[in-house]
Amino acid sequence: MAEKYTADELKQILDPDKKEVKRKLPDFGDKLPKEITPPNFLKQKVGSGGLNVKILEKAQKLIDNNSVDFKPMAEPFLSQIGHTISQFEKDNPPTDKHRDYILLILSPAMQLKGHGGMFGYTLVTNIANMFIQFLEPIKTLDKNALEMINGFYAAIHAVIISEIKGDGGKDGAELLEELKAAWTRYKKKS
Amino acid sequence: MAYNLSDLRVLVIEDNQPMLDIIRSILFAFGVGEVYGVRNGETGFKLYCEIDPDLVICDWMMKPGDGIYFTEQVRSSPMSPNPFVPIILITGFSVKKRVMQARDAGVTEFLVKPFTAKDLYARIVQAIERPRKYIRSQNFFGPDRRRGGNRDDEYSGPKRRKNDTMDKFEKEEIELISKHINKTDFL
Repeated sequence: MAEKYTADELKQILDPDKKEVKRKLPDFGDKLPKEITPPNFLKQKVGSGGLNVKILEKAQKLIDNNSVDFKPMAEPFLSQIGHTISQFEKDNPPTDKHRDYILLILSPAMQLKGHGGMFGYTLVTNIANMFIQFLEPIKTLDKNALEMINGFYAAIHAVIISEIKGDGGKDGAELLEELKAAWTRYKKKS
Repeated sequence: MAYNLSDLRVLVIEDNQPMLDIIRSILFAFGVGEVYGVRNGETGFKLYCEIDPDLVICDWMMKPGDGIYFTEQVRSSPMSPNPFVPIILITGFSVKKRVMQARDAGVTEFLVKPFTAKDLYARIVQAIERPRKYIRSQNFFGPDRRRGGNRDDEYSGPKRRKNDTMDKFEKEEIELISKHINKTDFL
């Protein structure tokens, strides 16, 4: 299972301070900027012509027919989100610390979005995708934002607990519409 | 004629074991000869230095050593056997800010999870058929972040066609992949 991150680690990965990032770059001993065209070893090795459609279909079946149970994979990510929400309410941190909590929610939400669709839970991906779009730009959590986060969390939780696979059909579409409407209301209030 | 991927050596770095297994099996289905898998960027870089792969497929969020750390090591470390290796970064993130962050670190292609076999293939085709030039400037070393070079001549007027909402890269990828699929007639 994927390792859990601390808020500081997430800040370094997802919100790095660009001024601090100074890496040593390779020295090609020339005047800068320099444009380099490396030899295309890949092309030399594989030749031309692409892959046959049948090969791509066979490869796609490996994704479509995989028997991995997503539920146990999703549970730690869900519980991370739930725990962070509770911790935020308990800590009542100053606003300059809010982004730490947002990142602690964003990271597992991204995992749910990425893996849901790979393992049969497209609706989880669709909700989590909206959840990420919501979380990415916000810097602070007010009452309304917290309400939205709780809504996304509850929706993903319900889909996983009820084992709603695929896009959830009509109910799935309605759920997404409700979340979209709630987000629109949130935008008006903020 | 068709691609012969049997001589390719690919390194996959992904902390989620089922995901790692799926990517490996897709690559084998494509006909890739050697696929190595590890579960974090730190071990990934050590193995990278040992095996000098032709292509790397790397997840973003892992520890110790995330995908960006790995990419920076490959591009900048004196231990790196090939700073030009194509790196396909896979992640659940898709907002522009994250794509830019990955490109700034020196990633070659960006693949958003969940993906299809065709999506992964399209990124590999890009690396084979349209390799990027590399730029070494004062503050950056990595694949040219402007695909297709100078983009000043792009049309900036109103968008009226249905597929105008598509990113230029996506259009190019779709064209490229269609071209390659239709060309083959074996099996």
